[in-house]
Amino acid sequence: MSRGYARKTLLAVSVCALMSWIGCNNPRGPEGAGRSEVVELTYWPAPNPQEVQLADTLVRRWNRTHPTIQVRMQSIPVSQSTEEVLLAAIAGKTTPDVCSNIWPGALHEYTRAGGLIPLDQFTDFDSIALARTPRDLLEPFRSEDGHYYQIPWKTNPVMMFYNLRMFEEVGVAKAPRTYSEFFAAAKKLTRDLDGDGQIDVWAGERDIRPIWWQRLFDFYPFYIAASGGKTLFKSGEPDFNDDAARIVFQFFQECYQQNYFPHTYFQGGDPFLLEKKATHFSGPWEVATLHSLAPHIRYDVAPLPVPDDYAGPVYTSGDYKNIGVFGTTKHPREAWEFVKYLLQAEHDLLLLLTTNQIPVRGDLLTNPLFAEYFRQNSKMVRFAEQAVSTRGVDAAPDLKEILDAISQEYEACAVYGKKTPTEAVNDAFRRTKVIVEWNK
Amino acid sequence: MKSFWLFNLPRHRYAKTGYWFVLPYVVFFGGFVAYPLIFSFILLFHRWNIVTPMEWIGLKNFERLLNDPLFFKAILNTLKFLLIHIPLQMIIALGIAVLLNSKLKFRGFFRAVFFLPVVVSGVVVTILWQQLYAFDSGLLNRMLTAVGFGRVPWLIDPDMAMLSIALMATWKNVGIYIILFLVGLQDVPRELYESASIDGATRARQFFRITLPMLRPTFVVVVVLSTIGGFSLFVEPYVLTGGGPMESTLSAVLYIYNQAFYFNHMGYAATLGFVFALIILGVVLLQRKVIETEPTT
Amino acid sequence: MKAIAKYAALGLGAVVFAYPFLWMIASSLKPEAEIGGFGLWSPHFTLFNYEQVIERIPLGRAFLNSIIVSLSATVSVVVFGSMVGYALARLQFIGRGTLYAIVVFTMTLPFQITLIPQYILMVKLGITDTYLALVAPTLMTAFSIILFRQFFLYVPQALIDAARIDGCSELRILFRVIWPLSRPVVITVSLLTFMSSWNEVLWPLIVVRNRSLMTMPQLVTLFTIGGEAESLLGLQLAAATLLALPIIITYSFFQRYFIESMASAGIKG
Repeated sequence: MSRGYARKTLLAVSVCALMSWIGCNNPRGPEGAGRSEVVELTYWPAPNPQEVQLADTLVRRWNRTHPTIQVRMQSIPVSQSTEEVLLAAIAGKTTPDVCSNIWPGALHEYTRAGGLIPLDQFTDFDSIALARTPRDLLEPFRSEDGHYYQIPWKTNPVMMFYNLRMFEEVGVAKAPRTYSEFFAAAKKLTRDLDGDGQIDVWAGERDIRPIWWQRLFDFYPFYIAASGGKTLFKSGEPDFNDDAARIVFQFFQECYQQNYFPHTYFQGGDPFLLEKKATHFSGPWEVATLHSLAPHIRYDVAPLPVPDDYAGPVYTSGDYKNIGVFGTTKHPREAWEFVKYLLQAEHDLLLLLTTNQIPVRGDLLTNPLFAEYFRQNSKMVRFAEQAVSTRGVDAAPDLKEILDAISQEYEACAVYGKKTPTEAVNDAFRRTKVIVEWNK
Repeated sequence: MKSFWLFNLPRHRYAKTGYWFVLPYVVFFGGFVAYPLIFSFILLFHRWNIVTPMEWIGLKNFERLLNDPLFFKAILNTLKFLLIHIPLQMIIALGIAVLLNSKLKFRGFFRAVFFLPVVVSGVVVTILWQQLYAFDSGLLNRMLTAVGFGRVPWLIDPDMAMLSIALMATWKNVGIYIILFLVGLQDVPRELYESASIDGATRARQFFRITLPMLRPTFVVVVVLSTIGGFSLFVEPYVLTGGGPMESTLSAVLYIYNQAFYFNHMGYAATLGFVFALIILGVVLLQRKVIETEPTT
Repeated sequence: MKAIAKYAALGLGAVVFAYPFLWMIASSLKPEAEIGGFGLWSPHFTLFNYEQVIERIPLGRAFLNSIIVSLSATVSVVVFGSMVGYALARLQFIGRGTLYAIVVFTMTLPFQITLIPQYILMVKLGITDTYLALVAPTLMTAFSIILFRQFFLYVPQALIDAARIDGCSELRILFRVIWPLSRPVVITVSLLTFMSSWNEVLWPLIVVRNRSLMTMPQLVTLFTIGGEAESLLGLQLAAATLLALPIIITYSFFQRYFIESMASAGIKG
């Protein structure tokens, strides 16, 4: 129960606050109020083990070099989503000073609840942010009111993994670049190996259930690719009733109608690991998974296929996690100092090394600091290259529900072929508008 | 006694005891009926995710509801469910009840077996039927392929899934209605049949002329109970299909549940609940009216 | 000839209603690869699925939770229900008619309307994730009050008068004089309350997310639809069997009462 946890978190936080208050005051007692006033900050990283480890290292280093600003790391309970915990914390005024696990899709709700402070109030924001991240990547994270409440930290671009052995077996030499090439390859890749009339290996496969986050691995990145880097919203209004959306729906409809993708779920594990599907749309974490669970699979990574007439860089979507400073902080300046510390190049290297996630910076492949990492992890180069053409999600209210509505239309159109792409996109758009209007 | 209570001032000392006896219920009613009702009314005009403060949004919840295809889908699904479930239930229940009502050995055994699915949790029944309905390996499709038919996409085909759920619900609940019809049948006076036999009426004629009309009150109960049950459908789609494929098994309660606990829209969920409740009351009243006034044939 | 057809029809019906349960129990004892066969017998019967289920989810605890919740709901519904029913049937006080009308109104009220506000009430009282939240909304039911009232209306006044003359308090009259006469209705209300409380899933799903407080059907539901069963059929069937057994055992002993309760409830409802 979120409230239950929230109450426990609240309790824990207030106990900690009380103890730190005692801790702060005691040393001052005998010597009187000295100039050595210690500022204490709380920092919430993401709850997964790698990131907790990273945060632990970073916080330890910081505390050693900053005796007057001490940071305490607290991890979010694993049992529930960060979004729930943060919303509850905003309501209970128990937010941390800094959090590095802010999903841009939920930002709207945080700012509506008055949870975050604008970071561009600090005079060095522009120089710091732009030194690390190209303007083109930074701009999408500016809120409607023109302020930056978040600064992009890391991302996981979705790309196409493909099984080299399976491609070679059917004589496809390189990764398909366009939809036509994809279909041509898919036609050969989808095969009945034992001649029993049932297909045994597929060109691809996607979870067909209309669950919102599943679309972050098919419709959404394909839409961004087909539209040349556009997201679903434009200045707070839904803006996807266009050819790009229709052509992506059409593409997946074709995949299902031609049986390149199966209509049911796979039982017994990930079909890419089992070499039952030749392509797989996923992010860089898959590299580590493949390395540890299926080291025998020969694969490569390529940008997502795009419409035949598309020209230009191939965009995709990535799961951004951003850093923000909460309104409850008593020390915004110190918190900003800590944020800047997190964004330093050597810490981005640590981020790469510990988590295999891509820092949102422009010089990954040019800065000699990262050269050794990419030499040893050659597959990660593809993701680093892709990262500069990667978009996140919009900070729209109820994005989860909007993606759910799109999922349902996608299911009707692509999986079941009961709606034309035009109808499905129209309906998804109309439903999105209803949700957005309701939220105004 | 009932109509004069106002003038029937406490004549004796038991009045006080009366208040004490009903006090717990009054408290309970205040907390769990009256307060929720009032609060539900307030929620109708608010947007609220519980953690942040409530926001007054006027009639926007209703506006959204009128533009919400899932709301209409949920109603349509429920109607579809009822249209299959109620007739099926009545025919099977009445048929078995008539058989059980004749001279019979092992009547108790049969009655107990037909009633078994009623007492078992809906979760058990749903998990069990999930296996029966499975497309590739399910028992039903294996039986069908064994006798030379093709596989039926019980839960996969959007046009079939609700039918499959209605079938399962019939299997689970028909025991109650068998018992109700049995009670109804036993209440039909013997003399009616005897005099009809003397007049030379056939069995079939007796059934249509005597049995069915005499069972009218039972039909009312069966229809009303099934309707309320249909609108309360939750566990079955929640476990079996999650409301899919293509939202074809999204039930009213499942939709309320999703809006409230998946998307944290308490105000909108309360609005859905309110409107569904009005629809249920309307449908039940209408059914009573129709069945009770239907001319005897 | 007709008799044969009749028995054949009923026999077929019995198979349709009972065989799935037998199949479920048998399959839960089979290794995964053999599930899906029609037959009940297997040379490889094993308790593996049960061991796995018990290892993966705290079913013992859930069983205890379900017992605690269902029993407290049942006791409360019977005790308070009969008190209110008695007051409405046999005691005179101002507002009695109104109160009865309210009870009847409550019964016709669809739960869909109070579900969300009731949950919010639990949140505001700060009792989500407690036993209290699990039972609170079912501590009294309009339905039980109406059944009790109906039954108590037919208790002879002379009995009550005699007890009053003996100086019995009304509570004593209710529990010592009237209850012994009302066994059928007490059994009916108890069984129905226990059964519906035992089988309830929606409310626990809403107010409890702490696994150690989950009721048995709730835990089994989440086990099945969540990832924990890893879409292994044997585990799901074993969990379902464990959930069904307590009720099936109770039912096999009190089968007559179950059926009669349901019949009388259905007719009055």
